[in-house]
Amino acid sequence: MPTATEGAPRGGSAESRHAALDNLMRAAQQGDRRAYHALLEEVALRMRRLVSARAPWLGQADVEDIVQDVLLSLHTARATWDPARPFMPWIAAIARNRLTDHARRYKRRQAFDAAASDLAEVFSTTPGQTHAEGVVNLISVRRAMSDLSPGERRAFEMVRLREMSLSEAAEEGGTTVGAIKVAVHRASRKLKQAINRDGKEG
Amino acid sequence: MKTDALIESLAREAGPVRPLPAPMRRVWGWLAIALAFALAMVWAIGPRPDLAERLVEARFLLEQGAALATAITAALAALALTMPDAARFWRWLPVVPAGAWLATLGLGCLRDWAQMGPAGLRITADPECFGYIALIGSLPLLVLVLMLRRGAPLRPSWTLALAALAAAAIGNFALRLFHTQDAALMVLIWQVGAVALIAAIAGLCGRQVLRWPGVAA
Repeated sequence: MPTATEGAPRGGSAESRHAALDNLMRAAQQGDRRAYHALLEEVALRMRRLVSARAPWLGQADVEDIVQDVLLSLHTARATWDPARPFMPWIAAIARNRLTDHARRYKRRQAFDAAASDLAEVFSTTPGQTHAEGVVNLISVRRAMSDLSPGERRAFEMVRLREMSLSEAAEEGGTTVGAIKVAVHRASRKLKQAINRDGKEG
Repeated sequence: MKTDALIESLAREAGPVRPLPAPMRRVWGWLAIALAFALAMVWAIGPRPDLAERLVEARFLLEQGAALATAITAALAALALTMPDAARFWRWLPVVPAGAWLATLGLGCLRDWAQMGPAGLRITADPECFGYIALIGSLPLLVLVLMLRRGAPLRPSWTLALAALAAAAIGNFALRLFHTQDAALMVLIWQVGAVALIAAIAGLCGRQVLRWPGVAA
């Protein structure tokens, strides 16, 4: 059994990692600064990984913005955590809340219209989803990406991930706007189906 | 600021914190303050002359009970909304007593109609209800907002609307003890209407009052 200040182990089962986070947070509430430091680092790492996987179009500075907001929010709300309950659902609720705030700000600032809403649907966790389910979704998406035809995958990457316009994508792919549109639509549908399927199995 | 630097500074300034008690335990402290203030206001303004008769009347007790239950459950729901891992059950709790409150007044309208005909449903201006409810609800709302700010502003608009609903319901509870107005339709329009209006206005201000640090509204 690791002591709280040693930080959360990177290996081991999900339960033991979660229990390690519970211990860190419990120690942090009691005023253990080293435990708190380790916990913040762990949360920053997870958030950074999650946000960059979910929103690959974001620049590094924007990703750090979100990570820092989640850390500040954790800090502000740290008295609302009940030490008798698990840490993960608590921090997941805060992170989900802050991500929603950011999505709203980006929509307003950069008019992410269709790409954002579609990506949000494919990659993001839906309300009420746990962190673990979000990770499962990412794995399903990655697996489903390999099931797409090369044309579909390429069209999806250009339009949805690199945010190219349909005509730019058509030009680079050496095909027509109509064909790109159809390929993106099919790819989105397959990815959504893959997530729903895996979600139900899990 | 670099994330590493932020982590350094947060860890350095973090002292021990006492975990907030569950909403179920915090709500009673609020209720005690709110009721003490409300009853002091009733005493200061002067209770209605027929209060003793009203206090044995089932309909009056039912309406007052529903108003008080609405206040307690709305305060509970507001407190629960600031706890990240609170069950969703809490936020729907006020629906039951609020529904009962509206139902008793709705039935009251029917009874007034049956007993007095159209005269029982006459609507006259009674706008001072709003002022009294806002005045009596002010301190309970302030206290509740201070309590809510210790939590996490996850749903600021709903949280503040529920807090204002709780405070205004206390205001209405007190108003019925000194304001001689029992026509159900008048109570429904001018008093419950004022409570709803106060909650709606508060909901619009939610994001200004309850917010995360370091983020523009």
